[in-house]
Amino acid sequence: MKRLMGVLAGAVVLGAATFLTPAAWAADKGKVYYLVPTLLDEFQTGSVTAITKFMKDVGYETVALNADNKTDVQQGQMNDVIALKPSAIVLAAVDFNALKPQIEAARAAGIPVMQFDRQITSTKSDLTSVAGTVEIGHVAAAEIERLLKEKNGSVKGKVLQVLGDPGDPYTLDIQKGFEEKLKAFPDVTIISKPAMQWEASNAGSIVADQLLANPDIDLIFVHAAHLSVAAVASLEAAGKKPGDVLLVSSNGAPVGLDLIRKGWQQVEVEQPLFAQAAALAMFADKVVNKQEIKPGTYDVLGLEGVVTNEEWGPNIKIPGAAITKANVDDPRFWGNMKTPEAPVKSVE
Amino acid sequence: MVSSNRRAAIEFVLDHLVWFILFVVLVLFSLTIPNYFQIGIFANIVEQSTFVGTLAIGLSLLIIAGYMDLSIESVMALAAMVVGILFAKSGVGLGFGFTPAWLVVPISLAIALSVGAIVGASNAFFVVRLKMNSFIVTLAAYIWGRGLVVALSGGRSAQELPSELRFLAVERFLQIPLMAWIAIIATLVFAFILNRTPFGRHLLMIGGNPTAAYRAGIKVDRLTATTFVLAGSIAGLAGWLLAIRTSGATANLGVGMLFQTFAAVVIGGVSLKGGVGSLPGVYAGVLLLASIQTAINLMGMPAHFTQLIQGGMVLVAVLLDTMKLGIRKRLA
Repeated sequence: MKRLMGVLAGAVVLGAATFLTPAAWAADKGKVYYLVPTLLDEFQTGSVTAITKFMKDVGYETVALNADNKTDVQQGQMNDVIALKPSAIVLAAVDFNALKPQIEAARAAGIPVMQFDRQITSTKSDLTSVAGTVEIGHVAAAEIERLLKEKNGSVKGKVLQVLGDPGDPYTLDIQKGFEEKLKAFPDVTIISKPAMQWEASNAGSIVADQLLANPDIDLIFVHAAHLSVAAVASLEAAGKKPGDVLLVSSNGAPVGLDLIRKGWQQVEVEQPLFAQAAALAMFADKVVNKQEIKPGTYDVLGLEGVVTNEEWGPNIKIPGAAITKANVDDPRFWGNMKTPEAPVKSVE
Repeated sequence: MVSSNRRAAIEFVLDHLVWFILFVVLVLFSLTIPNYFQIGIFANIVEQSTFVGTLAIGLSLLIIAGYMDLSIESVMALAAMVVGILFAKSGVGLGFGFTPAWLVVPISLAIALSVGAIVGASNAFFVVRLKMNSFIVTLAAYIWGRGLVVALSGGRSAQELPSELRFLAVERFLQIPLMAWIAIIATLVFAFILNRTPFGRHLLMIGGNPTAAYRAGIKVDRLTATTFVLAGSIAGLAGWLLAIRTSGATANLGVGMLFQTFAAVVIGGVSLKGGVGSLPGVYAGVLLLASIQTAINLMGMPAHFTQLIQGGMVLVAVLLDTMKLGIRKRLA
């Protein structure tokens, strides 16, 4: 029995040594930990694939940790990762403010922190790559302005805005951008309702109720493509045909693109997932080596990314595009799920 | 001294209290909220009650028998995702079809029920055979069930179920979609089983006093295991209906419905101590929650109030339950 235990213990030690040896795991330039807020939607799962691929292009191995949309879990992950001393941390924060102490702790420990998709302005980071959620609201508002004008002859009508969870600043930013742009059009009535927990059936219920309470709704604007599927299901159940009620969505997920192809949806405002991820990889060497990132315009996968120096550090903003029937099949949209094959190169 | 007629009247009110509250709430909303009073809105309330209503059947049966099932929400999501992956055409959907096409309905339903039955049987094994605590076992199933949904889908969604399934959400009878009728019929069938069959009566006895039930010759273990499998299958049915409603499945489908279901069950008069409860009452609880949700959808009230109100209602329901016990004691 003792012998057996000894053999087992030896095997465990040997296995652990093999498993944990840096040579067995480390890529050329070390590890980058990507702290993804959730894996419950295509954008987030797509972001893991894209960041892993682009970081590999520039010599880093990516390890992704899922926080399951829980702030406390992500805080714990940050603490654990700091102890592992990686080359860098990429953070897509569950909560914009709650992660501030961990970001500061990581940077104090000499580990650079890059923000992905969610801008944290309360403390300094080493790089922030965002689409600009307020800007997504602006793009959506411009498209909705166009659609209402085409439908009603002028920019007037009734718009149902279906937000995501009201506790998520992502959706509140989009709402802010959207409503500030449409303020210029007093003949547009906006009814805003949140789909709690970003849950599709909640969005479906809101649309079903509002179609009865406000049968003259011209357009529905939903803050995520997976919610628009439920919205379409309710439209269909209410006997509507594609185009009867206009539909605009944001984030650029595959399901939104499919709805455009089928005629149910007119516009999807894309978050440029690939470009946002590629920007991190392009500047990873500079971030890891603590070199200056110069403000200016950079070509990121064919899109124009603008780097500015903000109070919270270097910030690259890449504009989201409006996807319509005319350009829906363009492979540069992440919703078409074709991760760019050409390797990303580090910025010199 | 209370006359027998008056006592009967009081008993009737106590037994159907949730229906009276529902009636009052509906009248109140109809008078105060513009556009609330219309057949379409009432049909929507019934439609929106489909999933929580179906989940509540299985949960009620188990609670009445003296057990807990926290896994039902995950089972529902898992069944919806399996149906979505197999039958939806976009996203992670494989778009399987059958000839003749109408076979899609029974086959997808059988698959959803089987998914639920498997999880229910697993819960039953741990609770009945290994004598583990049902709260902990089903909590574990809740967690791994959600994990399995994410793992199976890779976080992606399955979209666009075939029209053979979608017709259940689109076609209506008396303004109410066919899928909601399925939930109503299921409630009626299980209400009948609970009140009019030996299985149901034995379940109430087990929940009231398992030792006495055992001594009375009731096969407690077998009945409990059957109830777990039933609850799982009913959650599978809820998942099938939810997938049909949303024309597919997302990884976070149905998140939070467990708590709504618990709220409805408690409001509907099922005692968490077991042995007491009726399914029509539970369905009234479900309708009550859905009518409040609809009111919030139509009013300018911030959505945060939904959970506040629902939480308050659960407390009120428990309070009423305690008061009912007191009144009944005085009547006896």
